[in-house]
Amino acid sequence: MTDVELARKHGEDVLKTRIASIQKPFSYEDTAYHLPISYALTGVQVHDRAAAEDVMTKTGNNPLVASECLLAEKTAAGGKEPAPYTGFISDTVIRKLGYSLVDGSILGLALIVGSPQGEGGAAAICRELQEKYMLTFLAGNVIPSLSGAGVKLGLEYRLIPLGPTPFYGVHFVDIIARVAMMFGGVTPGDMHRLLAYAAERAKAIVIVFPGLTDEEIALVDGMRVLGFPILSLGGYEGGTWTAATPDDVVRLGMEQKGIRVNVTAIPIPMGCSPAFEGKSIRKEEMYVEFGGGRSPAFELLRMRQPGEIEDGKVTVIGPEIDAMKEGSANPLGILIEVAGKTMKKDYEPVLERRIHNFVNYGEGSWHVAQRDLIWVRISKEAVAKGVKIEHIGKLLASKFRMDFPNLLDAVSVTLITDPEKVLAAKKEAEKVYDERDARIKGMRDADVNTYYSCTLCQTFAPNHVCVITPERLALCGAISWLDGKIAYEMSPSGANQPIEKGAVINALTGEFEGVNRFVKKASHGEIERCSLYSVMEFPMTCCGCFEAIALMLPEVNGIMVVNREFKGMTPSGMTFSTLAGTIGGGAQTPGFAGISKNYILSDRFLQGEGGIGRLVWMPAALKEELKERLEKKLAERGLTGFFDKIADETSAETIEALAEFLERVGHPALTMKPLV
Amino acid sequence: MPFDVQFGWTTPIGDVVLGATRADGGTRRVSYRIGRGTTLPFLEDVNGSPAPLIAFEICDYPAFWSPIIRDYCGDLVNNVNEWTKTADATYGADLVRLHLTSTKQRNFSDIASIGKVVEGVLSATSLPVIIEGSNEPKIDSEVYQKCGETGQGERLLLGTAEAGKYRSIAAAALAYNHSIIAQSPIDINLAKQLNILLKEIGVQRDHIVIDPYTGALGYGFEYSFSAMERIRFSALKGDTDLAMPMICSAADTLTIKEVRETGPEEQDAAAIRWEFYTCLAAAAAGAEIVCVRHPGTIPLLRAAFADMKKEAYVTTGVP
Repeated sequence: MTDVELARKHGEDVLKTRIASIQKPFSYEDTAYHLPISYALTGVQVHDRAAAEDVMTKTGNNPLVASECLLAEKTAAGGKEPAPYTGFISDTVIRKLGYSLVDGSILGLALIVGSPQGEGGAAAICRELQEKYMLTFLAGNVIPSLSGAGVKLGLEYRLIPLGPTPFYGVHFVDIIARVAMMFGGVTPGDMHRLLAYAAERAKAIVIVFPGLTDEEIALVDGMRVLGFPILSLGGYEGGTWTAATPDDVVRLGMEQKGIRVNVTAIPIPMGCSPAFEGKSIRKEEMYVEFGGGRSPAFELLRMRQPGEIEDGKVTVIGPEIDAMKEGSANPLGILIEVAGKTMKKDYEPVLERRIHNFVNYGEGSWHVAQRDLIWVRISKEAVAKGVKIEHIGKLLASKFRMDFPNLLDAVSVTLITDPEKVLAAKKEAEKVYDERDARIKGMRDADVNTYYSCTLCQTFAPNHVCVITPERLALCGAISWLDGKIAYEMSPSGANQPIEKGAVINALTGEFEGVNRFVKKASHGEIERCSLYSVMEFPMTCCGCFEAIALMLPEVNGIMVVNREFKGMTPSGMTFSTLAGTIGGGAQTPGFAGISKNYILSDRFLQGEGGIGRLVWMPAALKEELKERLEKKLAERGLTGFFDKIADETSAETIEALAEFLERVGHPALTMKPLV
Repeated sequence: MPFDVQFGWTTPIGDVVLGATRADGGTRRVSYRIGRGTTLPFLEDVNGSPAPLIAFEICDYPAFWSPIIRDYCGDLVNNVNEWTKTADATYGADLVRLHLTSTKQRNFSDIASIGKVVEGVLSATSLPVIIEGSNEPKIDSEVYQKCGETGQGERLLLGTAEAGKYRSIAAAALAYNHSIIAQSPIDINLAKQLNILLKEIGVQRDHIVIDPYTGALGYGFEYSFSAMERIRFSALKGDTDLAMPMICSAADTLTIKEVRETGPEEQDAAAIRWEFYTCLAAAAAGAEIVCVRHPGTIPLLRAAFADMKKEAYVTTGVP
């Protein structure tokens, strides 16, 4: 066992002394970047000992710099290494390599140094790196060990033999330094930019076999400053290298560096595309079904720590589809476990909702509802083609990885069909649902400093800006504050952007400095002010997707709500579609606001106009839809009995009838402050 | 009170250099610096923007080209180098835009031939050149690598990056210092998003030309016009992610019914009219480069742009 810390310290001292013994001037051919590491770090063009010592002083005797100078001197004195070794690689080749990195045809870079035991000791690792689109550089005994085992080396095989000793690994760093200068806009001497580029953009890992000298350990350990994970395959202790085995070293390294292999095709015997999403499977077409009140079924997505789960693993617990009777209803538990560096527990429910879309993407699979209310069907046609329960799992695992490449590093799926196990797991799931409800329900607009915008609809409503808060969903009802947050994290330049709400201008109407500033910019200067909780003053703009419209009825000093599904006439004298045509297109229309249905249940609803007491009319079907939840809310606010004071088309079709109705029931809006 | 033709704009459009003369390491006889507009074009008495540049489009595999142009240009279309020379010397284009249509052939894999075509065009003309690569994920990487490498030093304009397909083009632009065309489907937000994606990958703002996608007049051009207008307004108001020059091609006009179904005697005239009015409208919306395929359209556009006040930023060099 070599102690990395001790070896590094000793190695650094040796390197420093060796620099002092450099005699002749030296330089590399075929490069415009001199000694690239030294040049990128300090801007100094090193060609002799004096310059080398200058760079050493400037970089605090950095072992990478020392190694670079020493290797350049050795190369100048002894000539280039003979084939198969590449030695220093020319700028022209680097340009092509850099191209492949930006282009994505190479996912990342790996360096393997040291002496594997026996021939072919590194062959499996190299094969795995090749399969994962990594470009691998080799230095030291690993090279004869590979060629001895018949592994082909060369750029075309993505395995590049740099030189006969691990010391040649320094070329790995001079390549990255040049890529940073050529492609990353790093100017020579801008050490800070270089280190940031190496840490954030250079997808590089280092794999170390035993047998490194102290100087070589100093060199390899020096690469940590560039943010490259160093993975040790034994023989070293101490230091901060990650211990790994040949079986997991590539996965661990890629995971640590966040290098992801993109999934492109899903290996299942049925089509999978959003095109199939709208297609339902009727009873006659169905082979088996799960849930829907016919059998217990549920779905649950949970976050795990990286390393706890195996990416792409699908497990079926219980009978497969061929053991199920045609036309039968069976129990089902869909358990999805995900891990990712940026994944957060808060995202679980948002991601869980995607199970619905993904299962429906399958040509022969169908899904409705959520949580323990799900209803899933698989078609006869799909089963005839060979689709099994397992394939639904593969579809889910692949789609989650494909659609959330920046968020998720690993997804595994367990499908339970064993009746008793489904019931047991369902009980567990219900606990999780309750915890989540408590968490989201508790969230208030005042608890957060950041809201989220949605400008998805600017394609047809050019100046529309939705502001989404924990207590106010997007007006389409489809995007919650958490959805906005996660969408922003997944696509930082997308349609959902964070809004710092800033200082309060008017707490009652919900007007904030930061929101105004954002809305003005995002509406291209058209909208100056926006109050989040008011229909009357500077209401939010409306695209055209609103689930419902809230509008003032000055005759009765109240506000009515009409939802999209209601086709009849309203007391305002206009139908939903006439109203929608009037207020849509991204305009701000005082007295009118597009809202989601659930917003009616929010404590912030109509806050600027004196609260929900202003609500005078809603279509009967909408009242029915909200009844249970709304009555509970009203009771909490001490408004028991108010629900029945809200008129609908059965009690008041016209404004006159509405006025009479409100008078009769003693509606609170009549005695509130005048609206206009 | 005189009308304020600056409309309170705050930010000029950024500039992009097309073509490198010997002084800058290339072999072009001219180099254009496009952009820099401070207000809308075609305003009377305003030194706002120079006349748009006119690019003539050619291809290396004419089977995938409009039969109208094939008939008009005759044998020329089978010799891409001669066609290039004619576009420069006879048709009087400012730029040559080469479409590598050969890459559209089924299972195309002869990447080396792409290098030869690009080399040929670059020696046949000393005007700055626009190159449109492949549109097939399997070969994109190699094709753009080849284009970028062959044109190294010439500051080409490479096309066309889209939201789902920009990495190879961006890589070629970064590796060999070319500029790129970023196309979005008539949508200001997607245009902005693509520019941001390109920025994130490392392409500088002064290496991007926006293609808002140009529908043919009467076949969606009104949407293009509106998108361009909004891109330009946002840019002049200070949105730097949209403050790039724009390029428009009238290519779609050659396939519309009115042109296709016109009788043989009138067909050239019809094609020219549709190309001309589409390009003129695009220029009015702010395009810095307009592209045509019919040689007859160029003199009409020249005449239309003749009175534009500001001189284009042209650097001439020894060819």
